[in-house]
Amino acid sequence: MQSEFNIMNISSTGLSAQRFRIELISTNIANSETTRTANGEPYRRKVPVFQELVRDIQGRKENSGVIVKEIYEDPSQFRIVYDPTHPDADENGYVRLPNVNIIREMVDMINAQRAYEANATAINTTKAMITSALQIGR
Amino acid sequence: MAGIFNSNFDTLKTAMDVQLKRQELHAQNIANAETPGYKRKYVAFEEYLQESKMKLKLSTTNQKHLPTFPKVVNAKEVVMKDTSITNDKNNVDIDMEVTEMTKDALRYQVLSRLISMNIDRYNTVLRNTR
Repeated sequence: MQSEFNIMNISSTGLSAQRFRIELISTNIANSETTRTANGEPYRRKVPVFQELVRDIQGRKENSGVIVKEIYEDPSQFRIVYDPTHPDADENGYVRLPNVNIIREMVDMINAQRAYEANATAINTTKAMITSALQIGR
Repeated sequence: MAGIFNSNFDTLKTAMDVQLKRQELHAQNIANAETPGYKRKYVAFEEYLQESKMKLKLSTTNQKHLPTFPKVVNAKEVVMKDTSITNDKNNVDIDMEVTEMTKDALRYQVLSRLISMNIDRYNTVLRNTR
């Protein structure tokens, strides 16, 4: 039974990873116009970095799904927009805005949702398999 | 006691174990479908089964002996495929993965049905011999 339930754990790590990804996407969208952050700079686009997880259980290698290794800040350039009326405009009237592209975030979100659903399907499939195994000998 | 159960059970059990391992790898592939550099894992089982069928045959000393196939094939391997689909060198195709997973789950359920039917036959014998 242990290995069947481990399969569900693998899929649940996938669910968590994709949900976290959607969280970051939402943060990016919400802060797409934020010019002031704690470090004084405009908001930088955040991206999760995924890593495969394989654990060592008593000398055996066990597949354990995926983890978020770190939150990566996109180093690409800020958007420069001419707006002298903006409170954070420099002496030439230019404002640095976050490097968040809304369209790209939307596309990312669709992909994350699809990946999330695939992991949910995996859990349902595993559940069906366990249920059918329980029917043996009935 | 073990002698009265035929080799069907062993073969079916091995096949079920393989399908379960496959399911684990499908789950791992789907969970890592967006992980950069990740390569799809799969089980190469049938090829090994064919190979070992050719190599291992019971030697027959009498014309009346029937040659049989090995009961249990332990060749289960996790192999990583060396291809790339996207720029980040991840080669998991989510749609194919989900489809394969569904097929393998059905195979698993078919196998559990077969085991049940095999057990049923013994039950039939036991019930009808009083």
